[in-house]
Amino acid sequence: MEAMGELSAKLREWIEYFEEAREVRRRFANWEFIKSQPPKLRVALEYFIEVGDLYNAAKLAGMSVEEFNELRIKAGIPSVG
Amino acid sequence: MSASAVADTSFLIDWARYSRSKLLFKLFDVVFIPESVLAELRSERTLTWVAQGLEEGKLAVLPELPDASREALQLVARSRRLPVRPVDYPEAYCLVVGRELGYAVLTENGGALAVRDYDPNFASVEVLRALDILYRLWKLGHVESFRRELEVYERETKRLYTARDLAKYGDAL
Repeated sequence: MEAMGELSAKLREWIEYFEEAREVRRRFANWEFIKSQPPKLRVALEYFIEVGDLYNAAKLAGMSVEEFNELRIKAGIPSVG
Repeated sequence: MSASAVADTSFLIDWARYSRSKLLFKLFDVVFIPESVLAELRSERTLTWVAQGLEEGKLAVLPELPDASREALQLVARSRRLPVRPVDYPEAYCLVVGRELGYAVLTENGGALAVRDYDPNFASVEVLRALDILYRLWKLGHVESFRRELEVYERETKRLYTARDLAKYGDAL
C-alpha cells in the first residue's frame, strides 16, 4: 500500500511538471506564425505545444526530428520538459 | 561516473548547437548513437559534429540489437498506459541499452526521466540532461560558472528548463 501511495505521489509530481512545461510552451509560442502554416505543420506544432513530444510531432509534420526542431524554433516554441 | 553514454535525438540536436559541445567528452570516453537516432539527424551542423566525433573516436554508432529493440517496444506500450508523458521508441531503446550495458542515457525527453520513477526495471539507469551535464562540468572545473554556462546553453539551443528542473541545483545557481 505504501509503495502504491509513493508511486501515485511521484506520478502526480510528473503530471504537474508536464503541465508547467506545457504552459511555458503555450506562453512563448508565436501563434501568428503557427496559424499561418499549412494544416500539416500547424497541427504538428500545436501537438508539440500540448505534449512536448518532438518525435511524434515530427512524424505528424512529415519531417525528421531535426527538421521539425528547426520549425519549432522558428515558431518561437521553447523546448522544455 | 559512466565512461560511456548513449544519446538520443532530443539531446544531440540541442547539444550540437552549443558552442562548447566538445566538453561532453570531458565526461564520457565514448558516446554511442543508435542507428535509429542517426537516421533522424539532417542538419549540416549536427551531422558535421557527429562526423568529427566519429573521426576522433569519441562517438560510435550503436547498431539495432534485436533483444533491446523488442524490450524497447514493450516499454513504449507500458508507458502509454499511464497518465504521464510516454516514451517513444528512440528514448526507450536508449533506456534499455543504458541499463543492459551500464551506459548513461543522454536525453532531453521528460518521458524518459519519468520512467525511472514508475518502472522498477529502469530505476537504476542514469539519465542525464544537458542541465545535469553542465552541472557536472562545473563541479569538475571545466566551466567557470554553472549559471552563466546554462544561460549560454539556453540561448544557443532555445531550450528552457522549468523552475522545478532548476530547483534541483538551487544552491549552485
